Amino acid sequence: MSTATTTAAATLALVGGTHRTVPLELRERLAFSAEQAAAALERFRERFPGREAVLLSTCNRVELYAAGETTASAPEAMELVAFLAECRGLDPARLAPVFARERNDAVVRHLFGVAAGLDSMVLGEPQILGQVKQAWSLAQAAGTAGPLTAGMFQAALRTAKRVATETGVGRERTSIPSVAVADFAAGVFQRFDDKRILLIGAGKMAAETLRYLRAAGARDVTVVNRTASRAVELAARLGARPGDYTALEAELAAADLIVSTTGAEAHVVPLAVFEPIAAGRKGRPLVVLDLAVPRDFDPRIGGLPGVWLYSVDDLAAACDANRTSRQQELPAALAIVEEESLRFMADVHHRTTTPVIEQLKAGWSETGEAELERLFRRLPELGDAERAEIRQAFERYAAKLLHPPLVSLRSESRSGPPHGLVDALKRLFQLGE
Amino acid sequence: MRPPGCVRPPLVDHMTAFLSGISVVCFAASYAVALGCEASRLLFRSGVRGIVMVGFATAGLVAHTLYLGWRAASDSAVPLSSPAELYLLLAWLLAAGYLWLTLANPRTPVGLFLLPIVLALVGVAAFAPDVPSPLLQDSTSRIWGWFHAALHLVWIVAAVLAAVAGLMWLIQAGRLARKQPPLRGFRMPSLERLTVLMHRALAVAAWAAAAAFVSGIVLNAIQFRRGATESVPWTDSVMFRMGIMVAWLVLADGIALALRRRPGGDRVTAWLGIASLVALVGWIGWGLAIPSRHGSVAVDRPAAVSSHEDGL
Repeated sequence: MSTATTTAAATLALVGGTHRTVPLELRERLAFSAEQAAAALERFRERFPGREAVLLSTCNRVELYAAGETTASAPEAMELVAFLAECRGLDPARLAPVFARERNDAVVRHLFGVAAGLDSMVLGEPQILGQVKQAWSLAQAAGTAGPLTAGMFQAALRTAKRVATETGVGRERTSIPSVAVADFAAGVFQRFDDKRILLIGAGKMAAETLRYLRAAGARDVTVVNRTASRAVELAARLGARPGDYTALEAELAAADLIVSTTGAEAHVVPLAVFEPIAAGRKGRPLVVLDLAVPRDFDPRIGGLPGVWLYSVDDLAAACDANRTSRQQELPAALAIVEEESLRFMADVHHRTTTPVIEQLKAGWSETGEAELERLFRRLPELGDAERAEIRQAFERYAAKLLHPPLVSLRSESRSGPPHGLVDALKRLFQLGE
Repeated sequence: MRPPGCVRPPLVDHMTAFLSGISVVCFAASYAVALGCEASRLLFRSGVRGIVMVGFATAGLVAHTLYLGWRAASDSAVPLSSPAELYLLLAWLLAAGYLWLTLANPRTPVGLFLLPIVLALVGVAAFAPDVPSPLLQDSTSRIWGWFHAALHLVWIVAAVLAAVAGLMWLIQAGRLARKQPPLRGFRMPSLERLTVLMHRALAVAAWAAAAAFVSGIVLNAIQFRRGATESVPWTDSVMFRMGIMVAWLVLADGIALALRRRPGGDRVTAWLGIASLVALVGWIGWGLAIPSRHGSVAVDRPAAVSSHEDGL
């Protein structure tokens, strides 16, 4: 597909960098808060009047999408790089080597891939879609959104939805807490609102795992810690009940699901301690998510009947398997992105023909009206009903005559702006510029 | 009976021809396609598979329903009065259950477990005696007969569900023990849900089978009292067959109950469910092979369930 010809009518431009190309320290300086992004868009509107812009800033990417029509085409890439550098008080020379610069079709393809999570650090992650929506809303509020970016971002959201529903690229979970809860704990328990959850220790992953458990319905949560005050503090922060670490064996016996994240160097729960507890549980199943390194639970406990013990390594292996599964879905997702990009670009190209079609229709309508007036003067005996019938017949005739060139224009738009056909129409029907 | 000279409307003739043209092959083929779709979940992802699968299962169920309805309307015999009809109705119940479960839980491949049993029951119906029981001559006997047959339906469906839940439990427990995440498109219900289902199904199977056994004896006793039969057939094959089945199911349910609060008890219950299906297969095989008061293939099967020549 030719991109050079597209620039003559509607132009799309993108500059920006992601975690792949921009070092973390530079990304930190580049990142825009919502207020900063709004201010930058205001400045864009003043600097590039008549052009459209959307600024997408997340922890992993900063991208500026710009668009313009024939009379005011999108700014050149270096202008946009300089603009972003100016907004963040950076030297453009630092950004130029690490920033991607795309135009037209490539911009559309990139945005669609970004919205679908195909360009994310974790393939298929869904949060980016919300961030794309936010960026679009911000541009609308700042007044830098327009018909081109509207069409492009709406198509991006549609593409993301298609990728999510038609492929498995975002379906398999890839974080340890989400896999622990959704793939393993939910494989044992049907519901969590009647289960007793026990958090041992205050590791970073405990809070994240609890977040997933809460989302699954967990209500009865007890936190125990070697330091009682820490347990109280953590329980208050997590909306849980502080437990007594000295009564750990009783807590283990009462729990249905345990998340353990202590920093202990030896097993907190050895087999010899747990065996009598297991015997007293009367066959009640127990899920243990041992997220500590080194492990808190003796691995032999997982061999006891009714105990489902998962270590960080077990869960990481499952995450890796899920990542591989996502990768296998990537070609199908990219095919959807390609298909939607082509469709959107065909629409953009077709938009360039609108003025010619309007002129053609107006010219034919004018001629038709003149002929009708002449006919009606010659046949004054015609009633209103007959006149309306004749007028409708004229209109149908004109529409049928116009249909083949319109179909040809739309068909030609699929492979680029139909400049040749548009010029031919202009010359054949002597249409003005 | 139509009055003499009365001309049947052409639409009625078309409907009659249409209904009589529905055969076992029609719905068996539809169920087989749905089963193929279920199996393909393991191989590839597809956006339209769910629609095709549910479409074929629904078409099969509709054809199955019309077939049973046509049989009931065209035979003078009491519905559910022959073993062949019992198996066809069992297949219908399980197919309807499959459709309902699939619509409620689209990601659970329940058809992989239920549809082979549905197809097997349709196959068994083709070889089962298809003549009404000679015992159902008066209204009291018919009521007891229906009650007896309905209990048979209940315990067999429950036994099948116990086996399916047991098999799913073992697969799910195996995956969880090997620390494997769910396979794509092959998400099993939780162990908690399957455990509840296994226990309930085993209990229902045991008690319904026992009640079916007792109701069969009552039915024979009524006939004996009315002089329709020479004796209650205590030594008939059907008595031993059903007695053994009831004994097994009651024993299985008893063991499951006793182990319910013991470590490893759920695994034993899962195996008991599967063993109950094996026992059920033996029970059906015995019924087909050995003559009894219920009739047998060798003695009184003038026409088994036919596969119509005109197919779909």
